[in-house]
Amino acid sequence: MTPDRKRIYGYLAEFESAAALYQAAARVRDAGFKHWDCYSAYPIHGLDGAMGIKRSILPRLVFVGGLTGFVTAFVLSYATQVVIYPTVVQAKPANLFTIPAFFPIMFELTVLFAGLTVLFGLLALIRLPRLNHPLFESRQFQRVTDDGFFIAIEALDPSFDTQETHTLLAEIGGANIELVEEEDDDG
Amino acid sequence: MARHHVTSADLAIHGDHLDSTGVSTVKSIAMGVALVGTVASLYLLFFAPEMIRGCFAYSWLFAFYYFLSLSIGGCFWTLLHNVTNAGWGTSVRRTFENLGSTYPWIYLFALPLLCPEVQQYLYEWMNIQRAATGRVEEFLQSHSSLLYHKYGFLNLPFWYGRVIFWGLALSLVIIGLRKLSVAQDTDPHPGTARLFQARFHSTYTLILFALTVTFTGFDFLLGLDYKWFSTMWGVYLFGGSALNAMAVIILTCAWLQSRGHLKHVTSDEHFHIMGKLLLAFTIFWAYIAFSQYFLIWYAGITEETSYFLIRNTGHWNTAMIVLVFGHFAVPFVFLLQAWLKRNPRSLSILAGYTLCMHVFDHYLITIPERGISLGNIKPDVFGGIQVSIPGAFWGDILAFVTIGAAFLFFLLRALGQHSLYPNRDPRILESANLSN
Repeated sequence: MTPDRKRIYGYLAEFESAAALYQAAARVRDAGFKHWDCYSAYPIHGLDGAMGIKRSILPRLVFVGGLTGFVTAFVLSYATQVVIYPTVVQAKPANLFTIPAFFPIMFELTVLFAGLTVLFGLLALIRLPRLNHPLFESRQFQRVTDDGFFIAIEALDPSFDTQETHTLLAEIGGANIELVEEEDDDG
Repeated sequence: MARHHVTSADLAIHGDHLDSTGVSTVKSIAMGVALVGTVASLYLLFFAPEMIRGCFAYSWLFAFYYFLSLSIGGCFWTLLHNVTNAGWGTSVRRTFENLGSTYPWIYLFALPLLCPEVQQYLYEWMNIQRAATGRVEEFLQSHSSLLYHKYGFLNLPFWYGRVIFWGLALSLVIIGLRKLSVAQDTDPHPGTARLFQARFHSTYTLILFALTVTFTGFDFLLGLDYKWFSTMWGVYLFGGSALNAMAVIILTCAWLQSRGHLKHVTSDEHFHIMGKLLLAFTIFWAYIAFSQYFLIWYAGITEETSYFLIRNTGHWNTAMIVLVFGHFAVPFVFLLQAWLKRNPRSLSILAGYTLCMHVFDHYLITIPERGISLGNIKPDVFGGIQVSIPGAFWGDILAFVTIGAAFLFFLLRALGQHSLYPNRDPRILESANLSN
């Protein structure tokens, strides 16, 4: 392993305000970039629209997760309370019409499975947890959790060009434009 | 995606007033229908043969409470918007207030229910107390132990006092709040004073609202069967009321928008939020409705189960099962989808559907009691206790159309009175540029 080898991660540019970040994001989106992101200390309303981000598939996963919980709970309570060991309480029937007694369980498992799908689905989609991120190489990026607004365009993007991307970022109001390099561990 | 940023230059300086072309015709037709219907209903309530009078009393109660629940919901959303210091809905708040402002008028349709001639078919407990000789309390002690123990609440003077109080109190609240809101529209120096006033006065009046929605439900509907108990009753009615008031608000806003009103200030974002509230209250209604059923079903106490026994006998059973799926399962799955809530047209279809289910819900609250109570009160006239009285539903339709036409008239009238959105509210731009 040669510690001196570096790989270009991409450009990082700072913007002075949330509004400036919002405007700049729309320009980057229109330039056709795919591998890029905005960074801010707090959520900015409408930024996903300005970035052209499509709706996440997470809601669909959660629906499936919830449905799984719903069906699991029904099968579990029906199988145990009706099929395997019919439990007669206060002369209530032990058949499909016992279903009100299963509702709390069905509700709880629906919520539980949906909730777990939210958590793990989200973590999977945003690829967390991870130990490091190339942008942590940048000193100025530390301010992102305080008062910094950044856009980073990755070198991975087909439209990335060392000259043109720099020009674009400067044009749309980016300051302190920095080429972020990460250490290449694969080497 | 980037929308035009709305500035004060986009707002109607002198307010956005309802374009009356076409509306005035609908309004006069609605008024005509309401007047003719009311006259016909009064005849049916007081002068028709007893068989019809008895049946129609239930029709009237059903139709009255249905539309009252929509008006009460209008008051609720106004109060909630004020008290939560909300900014999102400022551009549709006037619609909340307009819907709420129908409350005093709709409440007037309770007047026949204050007459003993009508009450005798509805409220058995009143009959027993009216028939009492000597001191009512002593009479009850020896005749009906349950009514004796409930006498502190179920007695005629208190009942009349309450019913009048609910009518007056919430009317004053909504009239006051609407006045405050409208006064801002023409103020040459609009400030934040009225906003804070509305917020302050919405706090304690929200308690008044809660009492009104709970106890109008107790006094008019729960009293149909004085033997029945349900601690979920008030909140159950509230769930349906808030849900369907939101449905009316969505329909009204979509209609206004399609006529070119609420321009620049109402967007898909507002419909998205209102759709979310519709979803939330669909779930809430189901949660409460199920909880009520569940507790009663589980405990299996005779006095409590009567409500569901009546509604699960004969064809009412089918209706109750349809209610579970139609009022909850179907709209729930549809409303989960975001695109559907963002589109005023598709959301309106769902709102209309919800209102139909609300008719169904209230029909099942009031009407199954008819065959039982009437047969119990006067078996010689109404032919004993039966599941339902044949032919009585024509009266239900008449009463519903009558009060419905009146509701439509008063809503359109309210919409035409003032600007359709609070154009000088300090939060109007915040609301217009809403993003969620």
